[in-house]
Amino acid sequence: MNNLWRFLKRYYHVFLFLFLEGLSVYFISLNSYRQGSYVTTVANNVSGSVYSSLDNISSYFYLRSANNDLVQENLRLKKMVESSYVKVINGIHTKSDTVYKQMYSYIDARVISKTVNKRNNFFMLNKGYSSGVEKDMGVIAPNGVVGVVIKTTENFALVMSVLHQDSKLNVRNTRTKTTGTLIWNGKYYATGQVIDMPSSIAVKKGDTIVTSGFSRNFPEGVPVGKIKKFTKDSGTGFYNIDLNFFTDYNKLEYVYVVKNFFKMEQDRLMQGIDTTDNK
Amino acid sequence: MLKDILISLVQFILLFFFQVLVLDNISLWGMVNPMVYVWFIILLPYNTPRWLTLTSSFLLGICVDIFSSQMGINAFACTLVAFIRPLLLNAFSGNIENTFQRPSASRLGFVNFLFYVIILVAIHHLTYFLLGTFALNEIISVLFRTLISLAATVIIIILCDAVFFHKQE
Repeated sequence: MNNLWRFLKRYYHVFLFLFLEGLSVYFISLNSYRQGSYVTTVANNVSGSVYSSLDNISSYFYLRSANNDLVQENLRLKKMVESSYVKVINGIHTKSDTVYKQMYSYIDARVISKTVNKRNNFFMLNKGYSSGVEKDMGVIAPNGVVGVVIKTTENFALVMSVLHQDSKLNVRNTRTKTTGTLIWNGKYYATGQVIDMPSSIAVKKGDTIVTSGFSRNFPEGVPVGKIKKFTKDSGTGFYNIDLNFFTDYNKLEYVYVVKNFFKMEQDRLMQGIDTTDNK
Repeated sequence: MLKDILISLVQFILLFFFQVLVLDNISLWGMVNPMVYVWFIILLPYNTPRWLTLTSSFLLGICVDIFSSQMGINAFACTLVAFIRPLLLNAFSGNIENTFQRPSASRLGFVNFLFYVIILVAIHHLTYFLLGTFALNEIISVLFRTLISLAATVIIIILCDAVFFHKQE
């Protein structure tokens, strides 16, 4: 017994070390965004309140570029509203209230903390479930996609950026209409990669890539980026494409959270398919 | 003794805020991510009890983790560094008597101190980036990130050391 006691006393720091590392591994295992745990929720609340008070100061530095982006977006939207068009053929399309059903609505939010220099980057927004932000909602900036909400607390939301190794987004080439998957290889935050775009239809440098609308979080046609360079992978028959993001993720300030009114219905539909697949 | 604890506490708080509010927002080419808060562990006095080194490093790691949306990774790397630190100090400091002095370039000699810092920071950064990415097919990118962040962190620590501990011969 005495020997055991002496042994413990002599090597207590090894046991302490192992205990603390075990605790760390436990914390790391909580990071999975499939389920929100109490520990990470508390952590988000703490960092959120500090970041939001810090943001009151730092947001002034981005005012000019944020304004610029918003003006550009206004310009684009102004070109789209009905009053900018003249009806050429009368009486073919009539627009009544019952024809159009609203599918997407947007919640405005501010980015209060962001990183671009890690392999897996996150944003924190100043709106949480008390403002209607929910898990799995898409987030877009005035000029492009940003990411997907992975977690909400009462006043804050944590967003998985497209600059994350688990981020996969279905995108489309506006010219050729072919679709592919947007990923990020972790190298430079202004460049993203598109895979799974068939090389049977030729793409060009400078083609615009937008969201396809196949993923239920984003509406169709949200800008993503322009093709910078591409190579044909002869083995798979798909392109390896590098694109320049339209959004500068390092200067992100104002974003919109996308609310899809039909998401539940779509999810139910997909769920039916998934369960029959598994049988 | 009490004075040393107070100094360490102040260093803890200052380095923590410097890391979270300033350094984490640096994004040179989207790659450089200096983590100067490790300096706290490097700077602990020679004969700090081991349990205190381990727990304080773990706490600092957890505090930084809370602000980086990925829990546990900094804590793991910091605890590992705190565990290895006494071995390295023995190797590099030779015959320094039992005191509450803090390791610095003027006490250890510049070359010794440089190696001591580089090894500790390298262990921390490598662990941090490996755990943060957790994908073997990106090992080259992880090593590259580790190297340039290591360079940035070591340069900042050496400069800070020269500024704050220059005249304590």
